[in-house]
Amino acid sequence: MSITGIGIVPPVGPLGPAGGVGAATRVASPQGSGFATSLAGAVDNLSAVQSKADGLAVQAATGTLTNAHDYLIAASEASLTTQMTVAVRNKAIEAFNEIMRMPL
Amino acid sequence: MGLFDVFAISGSGTNLNRIWLDCVSDNIANINTVKSTSETAFQARYVVAQSADGFAAGDPKGVNVTGIALGNPEGRVVYEPDNPLADTDGYVRRPDIDLGDQMTQLIQAQRGYQANLAVVERATQAYQTALQIGRNA
Repeated sequence: MSITGIGIVPPVGPLGPAGGVGAATRVASPQGSGFATSLAGAVDNLSAVQSKADGLAVQAATGTLTNAHDYLIAASEASLTTQMTVAVRNKAIEAFNEIMRMPL
Repeated sequence: MGLFDVFAISGSGTNLNRIWLDCVSDNIANINTVKSTSETAFQARYVVAQSADGFAAGDPKGVNVTGIALGNPEGRVVYEPDNPLADTDGYVRRPDIDLGDQMTQLIQAQRGYQANLAVVERATQAYQTALQIGRNA
């Protein structure tokens, strides 16, 4: 019975310089495909949808709204988008907490 | 395609049916509009709808109202010698609109409006069900 030798442990690379606050903002992957970018995009989209619904609400209050259904549909869309963005954020935080609880 | 395109698409359909309701109400309101024979009669309004397909074939984009078509300008020439607008032979011009046909269109437009809003409601329910996934996990 032969015992295979243990491979050489690869050397630990030199530590990079400790990142300051400026470096922390670059944590999101440089390609722009990281989760933070996605979440930022979702929040931007949420903001756009809500401002559209707000604009229609102002029109409804001032009597310049031509289509009553437009406002209700926009409000419904804004509500759903908010729920979805919050659900995604909650799931992300849950996953992060799970990682933090990992015994080291 | 976006995430909640169904709202824009159903909204365009609802908008079309609202304009159709406007046209029908205009036609019914003017069904007794009498003109002298030297003028054109009130012309019935018809909605011109066109599907708003995207550049990608089959990409759903809803429906567009491309315009309002006008009906027969001749109208119906009716003998009404007592009418102050009657010409020397006693004829006036009445619009060529059938009230029964307009009432049928009214029901179609109303049901179309309701159907599009039913789609919005069902889609909202469907998306909310999707958001329930993993909520209690």
